[in-house]
Amino acid sequence: MTGRDSCRGRRIVLAVLLLAGFTVVLGRLVHLQVLQAAELSVRADRQHQKAVTVEGIRGSIYDRRGKVLAMNMEVPSVFGVPASLDNPSGVARDLARVLHVRADEIEKKLRQERNFVWIARKVDPEQGRRLERLSLDGIGTVMEGRRFYPKGALLSHVLGFAGMDGQGLEGIERRYDPYLRGEKRQIVLQRDALGRTVFPKGLTEQGPSAGHSVTLTIDEVIQYIAEKELDDVVSATQARSGVVIVMEPKTGAVLAMAMSPRFDPNAVRGLSADRWRNRVVTDAYEPGSTLKIFLAAAALEEHAMKPDSMINAENGRMTIAGTVIHDHEKAKWLTFAQAIQRSSNVAAAKTAMVLGEERLFRYLRAFGFGEKTEIDLPGEATGLVKEPREWGRRTLASVAMGQEIGVTAVQLAAAVSAVANGGWLMRPYVVSEVRDGRGQLVAHVTPQVRRRPITAETAQTLGTMLESVVTVGTGSKAAVAGYRVAGKTGTSQKIDPDTGAYSSALSVASFAGYVPADDPRMTIIVIVDEPQGEAWGGTVAAPIFRRVAEQSLTYLGISSQEPTKVALMERPGIGPGIGPGIGMVP
Amino acid sequence: MRLLAALGVIGMLLLFVWERVDIVRVGYRVEQLKTQKIALQREQDELRVKVSALAAPDRIARAATEKLGMIPPQPGQVVMVSAADPAPVTSNRSPEVHVAKSERFWRKP
Repeated sequence: MTGRDSCRGRRIVLAVLLLAGFTVVLGRLVHLQVLQAAELSVRADRQHQKAVTVEGIRGSIYDRRGKVLAMNMEVPSVFGVPASLDNPSGVARDLARVLHVRADEIEKKLRQERNFVWIARKVDPEQGRRLERLSLDGIGTVMEGRRFYPKGALLSHVLGFAGMDGQGLEGIERRYDPYLRGEKRQIVLQRDALGRTVFPKGLTEQGPSAGHSVTLTIDEVIQYIAEKELDDVVSATQARSGVVIVMEPKTGAVLAMAMSPRFDPNAVRGLSADRWRNRVVTDAYEPGSTLKIFLAAAALEEHAMKPDSMINAENGRMTIAGTVIHDHEKAKWLTFAQAIQRSSNVAAAKTAMVLGEERLFRYLRAFGFGEKTEIDLPGEATGLVKEPREWGRRTLASVAMGQEIGVTAVQLAAAVSAVANGGWLMRPYVVSEVRDGRGQLVAHVTPQVRRRPITAETAQTLGTMLESVVTVGTGSKAAVAGYRVAGKTGTSQKIDPDTGAYSSALSVASFAGYVPADDPRMTIIVIVDEPQGEAWGGTVAAPIFRRVAEQSLTYLGISSQEPTKVALMERPGIGPGIGPGIGMVP
Repeated sequence: MRLLAALGVIGMLLLFVWERVDIVRVGYRVEQLKTQKIALQREQDELRVKVSALAAPDRIARAATEKLGMIPPQPGQVVMVSAADPAPVTSNRSPEVHVAKSERFWRKP
């Protein structure tokens, strides 16, 4: 064999070997790409793609001037992977220092035989940043949406609160949950070997849409005024609780709905339902003499009484069905207007007798008592107005005095507003509009008339009588300097749970009225439950009315009867001049 | 001619590969910017919560009364004013209007 033949032979062997090698590679390629393609493709997708469910951010809640009352924020939740921890007790000590949780509790979680444990959910962002700086092995964070109520306890009973998983549980959060809740959407992420998200699907995939935002009719400043004044009196009189509602009588829009005591919706864990129940809509109470407003409305509308009709008040004492009715002030003959001014129970009982059971009942129902006002808040009660066939021998007189009937504060507010606005019973509402995540209007609430229980003439006559309650009657402490105020006091005894009879010690003091009486802009209802000491509506509730009205009128820029006239002046660089406003004499 | 065709094919292949690589590179950049956007959004939300909490009426009222020594106006100290009909100009001087301190610049000298 020559050298050339040997070289040629080696080349052939090399070529054969290479061919064999390529054949093997090609064969493997065909095996992987053709025969096993479907199975391997699924396996690859499983490794590279990750489907995650992302929830849209829950919408915010604003007051009528756009101030934030509730909003969502992404905050870190801390988790641990116990299997990958070498020194659980050391890690627990580090975590405890940052999270302000007991180290032994964290260590107990970290020693569990599980792949994943939550250590703390939805912690403060600053705590998350400190944890990141520590970079503890086996400890990680994921971001979750947390509900924040930046104003704390302000308006807490109306706002309600959302749960850990972002679902509305109470108040506006619950009632408007379908709007506020962001849309859930599953998106597929493509990840590389380092776990980083790689493009392809990320660019075209749309994220979940954020929830709608809700704007309330409530004004946070008026709400604050109402809460502060109520708190002061509840605290001073050691009352059990209290309620103030401020409503626009012409529309039914609620400007403030204050309750005392309140709660912080940022920390509801451990609180009972009793603390966060919105008593304005859920609780009915015996209104006492404030109900005489509607007795008078019925009597005037039915021409059963005129303001100057004379009534024998029997020197403040009358027996009905074996029960003695007393008046606070003794009097013999009173005009109907005087009877309302002095809140005479005897005169009220006699007026009710003239009206009769059926007519009184019909008017009470027409004013919305015994049915829901349809306010957009959850848990509304209907109150209690018995059918005339269920009335006892004393019931007519009792109802005339606001006993044997249960009304909610919001029913009272709507009914007083009907007197204030010329006879129209409006549906009360707390949400004015809903906007989507891009700010587009989704829903706009317009005032809604439910019915008209009395005519404008009756409302005007009654308004004049109610003004005299404040100028010369029991509600003098509700008078606001410079404004005409109409209203009615109420002091109702409560049933003693031990004896089942009316208690002489437990009472509810209330005042219901509106201002300015000549052009009503605010209906204000004040109810103080079980105040101690001198517990009259005129001494406990009327002063709250006055202080809330004074400050709110000034805040809203509502002129008094005779506003000071000033000449227009140029305001350099800003505008044409000053319009109506507020000035302070130095 | 053959060489030119081969170069063309190789060029096309390289262009295809470059394009794929660039898509991935841009994809990473997009993701990075998205992450940055989310972080900034979170920071903005955090600041909004802080601003809102700091602007709470009870906090402002407390600061006004306790730190600045302000008191609510007493009855008679608040005067509601409304604009009068424009009167013919007979004098350079307008009636003096007393306004809150912060709005004194409205007053004519």
